Amino acid sequence: MDNHTPAPVTIRHLRKAFHGVPRVEDITFTVGPGRIVGLLGPNGAGKTTSIRMLLGLTAADSGEALVFGKPFRELSDPIRRVGAVLDAGGLHPGRTGREHLRIAAAQGYLPTSRVEEVLETVGMTDDAGRRIRDYSLGMRQRVAVATALLGGPQLLVLDEPANGLDPTGIHWLKQYLRSFADNGGSVLLSSHMLSDVAQIADDIVIIADGRVRTATSLDEALASSRGDLEHYYLSLTGTDERAPHAAR
Amino acid sequence: MLRAEILKLTTTTSTKAAILIAALGLIATQLAFTLLLPALREDGAAGADVSAGLPIIDLTLPENQLAALNLFGASMSTGSIGVVIVAVVLLGVLAGTGDFRYGGLTGAALAEPRRSRIVLAKSGAAAAAGAVAGVLLAATAFLTLLATLLTRSAALNAPPVQVLGLLGRGVLAIMLLSLIGLAVGLILRNQLAAVLVMLGALVLEPVLLSIVQLAAGTLPTWAQFLPVSLSQAAVGSSGALAPGIALAALAALTATVLAAAAITLHRRDL
Repeated sequence: MDNHTPAPVTIRHLRKAFHGVPRVEDITFTVGPGRIVGLLGPNGAGKTTSIRMLLGLTAADSGEALVFGKPFRELSDPIRRVGAVLDAGGLHPGRTGREHLRIAAAQGYLPTSRVEEVLETVGMTDDAGRRIRDYSLGMRQRVAVATALLGGPQLLVLDEPANGLDPTGIHWLKQYLRSFADNGGSVLLSSHMLSDVAQIADDIVIIADGRVRTATSLDEALASSRGDLEHYYLSLTGTDERAPHAAR
Repeated sequence: MLRAEILKLTTTTSTKAAILIAALGLIATQLAFTLLLPALREDGAAGADVSAGLPIIDLTLPENQLAALNLFGASMSTGSIGVVIVAVVLLGVLAGTGDFRYGGLTGAALAEPRRSRIVLAKSGAAAAAGAVAGVLLAATAFLTLLATLLTRSAALNAPPVQVLGLLGRGVLAIMLLSLIGLAVGLILRNQLAAVLVMLGALVLEPVLLSIVQLAAGTLPTWAQFLPVSLSQAAVGSSGALAPGIALAALAALTATVLAAAAITLHRRDL
């Protein structure tokens, strides 16, 4: 990356409180081009809030969150630059998977032909005509991932994308994300699945209590913990019962 | 963006259900006005005392034919709200709250971060749905009147210009009411709360007006600028305001609540 190319994600000193209670106190990290960054942390650590601030859905109290050097709200044609999977994917149970994607394509002024392409990519072509209320959690996640891919983005921001996916789906997602990054795309992946993150991430950011505990490469994290990412994570988030004994 | 919002409305059953309920309510009101009441009076089936109290409705008169074309079905009792008003307002409310309920607004904000444009697109879609509903209701009202006239071997005497003007103002008023519903839905977010607030406001307006009139002896000016009063005045069924002025005031009220919805959405975390 040269000095003139902004990083896909730049987050600096982000802070956010809800009703006076700080949720995100000081979050700083970047996602470089072609990198998969695993965003790890316990429930309530501030991962989802940070992602929502990055995507302009939640206003930060202070600090900045930039996507390709700009606040998300200032991006032109954002659907072609950023794909996101959040929550349950915003799926209306009364619509079919195909209808949901047609609406998403229309929101981004994308050709309807993209709908069939992404349905095929996530393996949902045969079920696209069924109502979403009849989908399994894994099928809903596939449609959510398909929605994120519609615009052919350069950055994927995924909040627990493997939630509900079966082992085949998880395997497919990992392979897809690795291939996406190898082709120059960037991924910010929030997950609780340490083993899966360890298989595909280039860098990890661990946050707890609204603060970044470490932002480092996966190789360095593994090297400093004898290859045990779980122990590394638990020791940094203060939830490792073994840590006090090891310190004695 | 507008196309996406129209697709959202056409791929959910609530839009179709609201229009269907409005049409059925209109037909029922019209048939009661044009067939049931005259039959009860003529046959005396309701009893002599009741029959004597029923209005004489001579459908050969142009003014009664125009009254039968009131899209709000308010020709029977101008002091109450009709099924049509409730249905078209709820059409807008459901369009406004549906995205909050199922998370669709997040997707819209990711595709179009400038939220005022989302409100604009939603307004366009709700206005289009309201216009379609209005045209369908106008056709329903007209065909029901024609069918009724046929059964009574009467001719349509109302001047075509007045018929078209009445139906046109009705369509516009329905569009504006659906936009008010949309704005309230966007402001309140919660579907049940928005439905209850709108139903409460619509039901309470005639009650409030009655209380004010009883207390003051006359209706103050401000009372004529409430949504139900304006809608009914726009189709010329009640109120002291001229239909054109009522329609303009309803449009101004709609623009105000939509602006409030846009500001609320701009400031709010999604």
